[in-house]
Amino acid sequence: MTAQDTIRARARELLENGEVTTFIGWESGRFENQTTPLVITDASDADKLVCNEYCVNTLAKYARDVVTRGKVGMVVRGCDSRGIVRLINDQVINREDVYLIGVGCAGVRDRKTGELLKKCAECRHGDPVICDEMAGDAAGRPQPSERFKEVHEVELMTQPERSRYFEGVYAKCIRCYACRDVCPCCTCRECFVDQRRENWVGKQNNVAENRFYSLTRVMHIADRCIECGECERACPMGLPLMKLNRKVIKDLNDLFGEFESSMTLDEEPGKLITYDLVDCEEFM
Amino acid sequence: MILTKQNLMPLLRNLTGAERDVFVPTQVDGVSKFALMDKGTVPDFEQVNTTMPPKDLLFPQTQKMYHFDVDANGSYRIHEYDESREQLVFGIRPCDMRSIVCLDEVFLTKGFVDEFYANAREKLTCVCIGCASAAETCFCASMDVDPQLAPNADVMLQDCGDVYNVIAQTPKGEVEVAAWAPFVEEGVVEPVTCEQSLAVSMEGVVDKLEGMYDHPIWDNLSIKCLNCGTCTYLCPTCHCFDISQDMRRKDGVRFRCWDSCMFSEYTMMAGGHNPRPEKLERVRNRFMHKLNFFERRYGMSLCVGCGRCVEKCPVALDITRLIDDVAAIG
Repeated sequence: MTAQDTIRARARELLENGEVTTFIGWESGRFENQTTPLVITDASDADKLVCNEYCVNTLAKYARDVVTRGKVGMVVRGCDSRGIVRLINDQVINREDVYLIGVGCAGVRDRKTGELLKKCAECRHGDPVICDEMAGDAAGRPQPSERFKEVHEVELMTQPERSRYFEGVYAKCIRCYACRDVCPCCTCRECFVDQRRENWVGKQNNVAENRFYSLTRVMHIADRCIECGECERACPMGLPLMKLNRKVIKDLNDLFGEFESSMTLDEEPGKLITYDLVDCEEFM
Repeated sequence: MILTKQNLMPLLRNLTGAERDVFVPTQVDGVSKFALMDKGTVPDFEQVNTTMPPKDLLFPQTQKMYHFDVDANGSYRIHEYDESREQLVFGIRPCDMRSIVCLDEVFLTKGFVDEFYANAREKLTCVCIGCASAAETCFCASMDVDPQLAPNADVMLQDCGDVYNVIAQTPKGEVEVAAWAPFVEEGVVEPVTCEQSLAVSMEGVVDKLEGMYDHPIWDNLSIKCLNCGTCTYLCPTCHCFDISQDMRRKDGVRFRCWDSCMFSEYTMMAGGHNPRPEKLERVRNRFMHKLNFFERRYGMSLCVGCGRCVEKCPVALDITRLIDDVAAIG
């Protein structure tokens, strides 16, 4: 029995028994090797679910939207499960709100080129960090060695080079906010960019406002980023957004010791929201 | 008249001059868009559709409207802007030309003339290149667009394999083509037939949508939508904008910028009421506007079948599947 067969069978049972109200997975899209997220409420739709190496979307964020309808069943790989941990630890949802069917993941592929997605080549945890049951075996994929390779490349630039580089990046941004909307850490009830009365960030599209938006978001998710890489994948303009997220993670590692966010439900509170007498105070 | 493909670049180099800006489809820093042609520009006429639509030539993402300040006597002064310039867009596709028909309707008809748009439109010359082949996501033929025809283009270049048929379609186009004499020759060739693998049937869809405001289809569709603005900003016909200002102490700039019906803030009213509070209402509005409301008001679809949203939606929310699903409802 393949993982997909198990997922279909279990989704059907969970919905039929009323153990969950909705079930989140993927279905095939119109094009070859295309998949798209699927949310079902009817057990008879369970056979639409697919699980293959083209399931590019990380599903965790949907739990936030769907949980108001009742208990959510969903498929989780490493990235999806860390997203769920994030939502629980940020008190957006409760652990008992979700029933998680884990699948091991060896990475997903671009439907056109067949190549491993960048986010998957950089992924450190392909297998679920939490789940209620597994469909199939863990993938046990080895971790890539260089977590901060891209950050080092940027750090090697001179300050003017770096400045020009990021000006080029933000000149391309169209401020569609796909990076925010796909992010499992971006769960503010009202995002600061939507607070028009306060006008934290101007609506005009230019390098200054685009950069201000992006860097504020980076700092806001800093110690919570699960490194799923969805922001970078979703960006229609191909902005290298993970370089920024990883730069902040690298700095936090250097200042407070190595860490990875959203690996367990009892993780320590974020480094940036807690205070310790031995904290580095190099700027004071 | 015909233009051989070998003569295309020599012609283009001849067209660029100080008196007007020439825009061509190209890659700018990895983003495919219509960009100003200069010496180093490598146009890409093989790519069917640019990622960014050409609408910013007429309707920039951010456009200064006027600036204001206070003079020595304490009275306000308003300084108007008109930054429109003579522009030639070379290599725009038939679907994008159709999008300009839609934009013209919105910005120039029914008694409302948008001066910024009107100025830019008057100064824009469009040279359309027909499509010999289609991208996987192209479905313009299903949306009443012929991939080798664009009646509103000033000049139409039909792709015939090694040559283009050159057809001047407007007085502006005739002036343009008259200046191309050294590069074109007499003749007419049969255009290549553009095969599109993606097709939908719009038959009955507009009328059916009329009665579908409360149909469960909107919940099924919107539940996976992220509510980002990718589809609206990459759409060649989406034209919503917001007006805002940058204020300093005694002066400021009023500008308008693209806005998106996908954003919750888009419909937020003074006092805090939001008539489209959830994703469902926003997604429904977007597709209703594309496929029904615009048809009712202007007699045409606001979707031109360019396929950009189908290609770039981060969750593969696909308007062609919606059209099929609506068509399949009994």
